[in-house]
Amino acid sequence: MALSLEAIKGLVKPHAVHKDVYTDQEVFDLEMERIFGKTWLYVAHESQLRKAGDFVRARMGTQDYVVTRDEHGQINVLQNRCTHRGATLCNEARGNTSRLVCGYHQWMFDMGGKLRGIPHRESYPTSFDMNAEQNSLKRAPRVAGYRGFIFASLSETGPSLEEFLGPMHVAIDNLVDRSPTGELELCDTAFRLEFNANWKMHHENANDTIHPGVVHSSSVMAARQHRSEPSSFDYGQTQEMLQGNNFSKKEWEAIELVALPGGHSYMDGIYRSNLLARKESDPIRDKYEAIMEEVYGKERTAEILNLDRFNNLIYPNISINAQYHQLRLVHPIAPDRTLVISQCFRLIGAPDEIFHRAVRFLTTLSSPASMIYGDDATIFERCNQGLHGSDTEAWIDMSRGMDIDRALSEGGTISAATEAPIRSQFDAWLGYMTQGI
Amino acid sequence: MNDATILSSGAQAVDAQLAAATKFLYHEAWLLDAGRYTDWLNLLDEDAEYWIPARPGQKDSKNTPSIIYENKDLLSMRIRRLSDPRTYQTSPAPRTRRIVGNVLISLEAAQNDSLTVTSVVFIHEYRDEQRRLFSAQCTHVLRETAEGLKIASKRIDLIDCDATHTAFMSLL
Repeated sequence: MALSLEAIKGLVKPHAVHKDVYTDQEVFDLEMERIFGKTWLYVAHESQLRKAGDFVRARMGTQDYVVTRDEHGQINVLQNRCTHRGATLCNEARGNTSRLVCGYHQWMFDMGGKLRGIPHRESYPTSFDMNAEQNSLKRAPRVAGYRGFIFASLSETGPSLEEFLGPMHVAIDNLVDRSPTGELELCDTAFRLEFNANWKMHHENANDTIHPGVVHSSSVMAARQHRSEPSSFDYGQTQEMLQGNNFSKKEWEAIELVALPGGHSYMDGIYRSNLLARKESDPIRDKYEAIMEEVYGKERTAEILNLDRFNNLIYPNISINAQYHQLRLVHPIAPDRTLVISQCFRLIGAPDEIFHRAVRFLTTLSSPASMIYGDDATIFERCNQGLHGSDTEAWIDMSRGMDIDRALSEGGTISAATEAPIRSQFDAWLGYMTQGI
Repeated sequence: MNDATILSSGAQAVDAQLAAATKFLYHEAWLLDAGRYTDWLNLLDEDAEYWIPARPGQKDSKNTPSIIYENKDLLSMRIRRLSDPRTYQTSPAPRTRRIVGNVLISLEAAQNDSLTVTSVVFIHEYRDEQRRLFSAQCTHVLRETAEGLKIASKRIDLIDCDATHTAFMSLL
């Protein structure tokens, strides 16, 4: 019995949400149906699917999919379930093949998901139709790409990918434009981290400027007290990143948060505030800039490299850091269980050392032994425990900044030290959860 | 390293090296379990590298992300953080007990002043009602110095290095 419209609406107030949005199984199931089952979700990057026959596993909400490039060059997003007995067809993370063959009774599918062969065909009734839709692999009805980023939707209808992305296409543009050839390659090694808390907590934390100075104070202090000179081992990058979370009142008031319709958001001006700023002397960066200027010219290069947007959240499943070429996928598993996959890109045509920085950025921020991420994960789990251990009247406040947010002409708001990104996420959440009900 | 290049016993000199290496690894394990991280850091030579790859058989530490790839300098920052009460991950502090075994030395990789030692380690960690087991093969390059044996490099190949993990902060 699904939650009534009134019950869902009753979970979200303008300034607070009820704890059930983080803990309740029914709410979670509805999220999978009405958010992850409807909206556009990032599923793969084109660089993983260059040749016909290439495939890569993906998740859409809690469902298991395979993204393939078929012999016609078309991209397909197929459910990873044999239409015979239900076994998973694809059991590797990625690869290349001309047929997906079930290991149980050898049903055989082409890379477009069509059933092509079954053993002992003559024992099937004459009514059995190999071409019938129910025998083909179930597919995401809508698949679209934006500059190499492949998205899919489990809904036949809805806004186009461009409409869905809205102003967030700038985050993808900026990442792609940072490559002198306009081409990216997704690094094959990803970190897969689970935490025992709700998926929404990850997004709510990403564009919150108050928590870093608190949650990450131990890594900030460790870095600040570190006295040795940076060596060629990492050129001081690790120390700089740890110190980069030294958000004090100055940063709280300088870094503006842009909250957009659809639940999207980003931090504006993190580099202007001198966190992770470009260093005066940086021969690697000089070399990269020279290559960029050759392709784009001085002015355009500056425009690309100075775009100062951090943690670009494309709600509900990815976050992009264009400056360090990072991609994070957030997959809900259960109300109190979330999988985060973190990856980085190589900018094809840029110096190798630029990729080495992206790799070290990924390790420092997103490895299981990260000195930064681990404290976030612990806090998510404390929130989860606190909410599970509380009474039914527990409400989570999200009012910070309500009176200081300034409206943007193209929709959304901007201001510093605000929880507007969280409010915009719940605005979108409520919209999805009550749409057409 | 293939089987033919590994010896666990044989010539007397090899036995002596193996005994010294084993004793060193036991001591290292004891320091880590006792939480004596600064003492542990002193086992590392100045140019030492500490590496936990993210892929089985990983060859490259620059073009492929690692779970940890740090030098002595970065490790000293990591260790400073471990003792800070504001490190949520180590408050309450994790407790570990580790077993080091199957210690072998590689003759092929042997150089005049250094020794390549492989071992298997099981590290049982307990923290805040959670228990977990790290299983790994370690490869130490130990160097003979004026102050005795020092770690020139330590590589920890977790059997599940490329799997889904939860965050951890114990020193392996």
